[in-house]
Amino acid sequence: MLSIKSFFDKNYQTPAFFKEKQLSRRTFLKSATGMGTIAALPSFTLGAVEQESLVQLTKTDPWLTLDATLKQLLPASPTGPSAEEINALAYLHQVMTVQPTEQDEKDFILKGVGWLNGYANSEKNKAFVALTFDEKESLLKGISQSRAGSNWLNTLLGYILQAMLAPPSYGGNTKGIGWQWLEHKSGFPLPEKGQRYFELPPRANIIKLTCLDPQEINNEL
Amino acid sequence: MSFDICIIGSGAGASPIAYRMAQAGAKVLVLEKGPWLTEKEFFKDELTISIHDAYNPKLENEQHVIEEEYQDEGGKPFWQGEPTSESGWSWWNGNVVGGSSNFMSGYFHRLKPIDFRLKSEFGAIEGANVADWPISYEELEPYYAVVEKEVGVSGRVVNHPHQEPRSTDFPYPPIAELPMSSWIDTAASNIGYHSIPVPRAILSEPAMGRRSCEYSGYCSSYGCASGAKGSGRAALLNHAVATGNCTIKPNSKVYKIATDKQGEIIGVHYYDQVGRKQRVSAKIYVVACQAVETSRLLLASKGEKFPNGLANNSGQVGKNLLFSGGGTGQGDFIFSELSKDKVSELKQVGPFINRALQDWYQINDKDFADSFTTKNSGISQNGGAKGGTIDFLFHQNPIARARGHQWQYDENDNENLVWGEQLKQALKHEFTSYKTLRFEVFNDWLPTDDCFVRLDEKVTDQWGDPVAKVRIGYHDHDLAVGEYLSKKAEKLLSALGAKNISSSVSGSPSTNLMAGGCRFGNDPKTSVLNKNCQAHEVDNLYVTDGSFMPTGGSVPYTFTIYANAFRVADKIKAHWQGLNKQA
Repeated sequence: MLSIKSFFDKNYQTPAFFKEKQLSRRTFLKSATGMGTIAALPSFTLGAVEQESLVQLTKTDPWLTLDATLKQLLPASPTGPSAEEINALAYLHQVMTVQPTEQDEKDFILKGVGWLNGYANSEKNKAFVALTFDEKESLLKGISQSRAGSNWLNTLLGYILQAMLAPPSYGGNTKGIGWQWLEHKSGFPLPEKGQRYFELPPRANIIKLTCLDPQEINNEL
Repeated sequence: MSFDICIIGSGAGASPIAYRMAQAGAKVLVLEKGPWLTEKEFFKDELTISIHDAYNPKLENEQHVIEEEYQDEGGKPFWQGEPTSESGWSWWNGNVVGGSSNFMSGYFHRLKPIDFRLKSEFGAIEGANVADWPISYEELEPYYAVVEKEVGVSGRVVNHPHQEPRSTDFPYPPIAELPMSSWIDTAASNIGYHSIPVPRAILSEPAMGRRSCEYSGYCSSYGCASGAKGSGRAALLNHAVATGNCTIKPNSKVYKIATDKQGEIIGVHYYDQVGRKQRVSAKIYVVACQAVETSRLLLASKGEKFPNGLANNSGQVGKNLLFSGGGTGQGDFIFSELSKDKVSELKQVGPFINRALQDWYQINDKDFADSFTTKNSGISQNGGAKGGTIDFLFHQNPIARARGHQWQYDENDNENLVWGEQLKQALKHEFTSYKTLRFEVFNDWLPTDDCFVRLDEKVTDQWGDPVAKVRIGYHDHDLAVGEYLSKKAEKLLSALGAKNISSSVSGSPSTNLMAGGCRFGNDPKTSVLNKNCQAHEVDNLYVTDGSFMPTGGSVPYTFTIYANAFRVADKIKAHWQGLNKQA
């Protein structure tokens, strides 16, 4: 199985989740066995670190580089809120840890961190975060010319837009800053924590059978 | 356990039966595939509603196979199916207690008398299976009035060339309107159109234990947190349950209606919340799972007497499926071209536009009639043709609006990813420099041999049962009518001073507007149900969702589904009372 090592690897294939977010597992398996593009283990995994504060998390990769990338994609300026002001990192962190995001998408986001730093090292001999604003900009421009880089940046930009305009309970859009900036009036009621799309009452699901108490099986209507 | 009435489904077709029969004292069981949510679980959350479609099954668990027409290299047409888990095209419209009525816009236009006799009025159409209804508008009219009162419809009667006869006035005054509504009235009047207020299934004042509309600005496709929207759940099922006679079992997926050797129904089989098989029986069974799933359930319910599916010895189950013909269009109001007052009027959100045009519900235009050169083109002897309805609306969803602005064209017309300052400017411009007024055209989706439901041979749902395979062919006539109406709507946008006016009419089905598949009619060879929506072949089986419609009319279906279900509820009540007398 090929392991893609950079944004510019000619063997890169656009991952299935990217083409269609609502893709079935069946199709995913089909495409994954076909190319094996993102089957290799990601350079980073998320686990016990979830509990740590974001501040702690951003001291090391992958969050260090993700934070720097989001800030570069939506920098502070007088014309509109920055990634920091809309809390884009916290939103992305929720996407990666709390929301039921597809594993391949999470893997892809994390793999991109490795590819970006690999590129930064080969071009500038430094990690991405250590570069100047202009150097970062030129690197992102560079990777955006590749399909993998463009897919990766587009994924992050998509989440920046969500962080800007989704209800604040998802972690971004602090105090509705994105809505205010774009003069958008939100609806009401808005969901709080515990009321978000993945926290609604569950629907019938056959998978639950595996953890069923056998005594319950005889319960008739 | 046994019930008097077992209803499969809980939406607009099911809830009037549950309500009326529980009121009459029958023991009613409602089996609903989805969970039972209440006002407390409906939020104005774009992630829930559209981005993650969280009120519907995941397509990997439950899906459809959609068959579209393609051409091979020799130009020969063929049909190819694609599972929706691969296309991402969900065909679910709200799988929760109350069904899709929780998420409707609630445009409650009645059908008009000509809709009940399309074939008699306009003749046969080559390639379409047009049929008159076995009932008239006059028979359904009192039930439209019942729905207006008991589900709650807010509106105002105006004089109009195509106003249908009404026995009563609206029981609730119109809901609050935006300044845009009066702009439309003025512009329409200036060009000889008659704009009409849209009757809405939204309470304008508190009633029947429900709050009135709170004007949050997000209505269409969102669940209602105030209870003002007349979903089957808020308006009827809550009252049905309060009688003590109605049991709702959510998360219960019916997979088969079983029959014995004589063809009598002996029970309904379903999976409960965790996938265990359960069975229940009743005196009378009612199916109302929305058109595609109703046909699927009947087709899957094979028995000795019904080798092709329940009530399907005619082969008619699943046939003549209907959507809504037409399309959408839009025009932009550029803030820099408008006065400060006009801009602030435009920016208001909360209340509704609530305007429609029905001037061409029947098209009396010689040029349009002459554009059809063959016989049997749906043109009456007087040169009239069936037209449709145009509704106006604003979209709200900000993430959908922002999406895509990270792609911008450079000076060489290449599309590039942008970010930083360029992205900020693109977003600011998108959100704060103009507002788009949209319209939707509703015209008849002609029934044809190329639009039907059957069971897929390979793809199954999470319980292992075959999913519905839907062929979605359309008739070119629908496009001609849709184009005609779109041009009329574009003219109004132009009179309003809108810019960038465009419209799009296609044969792509409106998956949220479906009907047909189990036609009602007087001939058991060409229909599944009799005029009471009772199966010709099975006495104690009724179908009460939109499946009964032989032709769909040119308005959204929910109002007519409700009205017909109230009509059929009276028949079922008489049937049940008759059974009790026998016993």
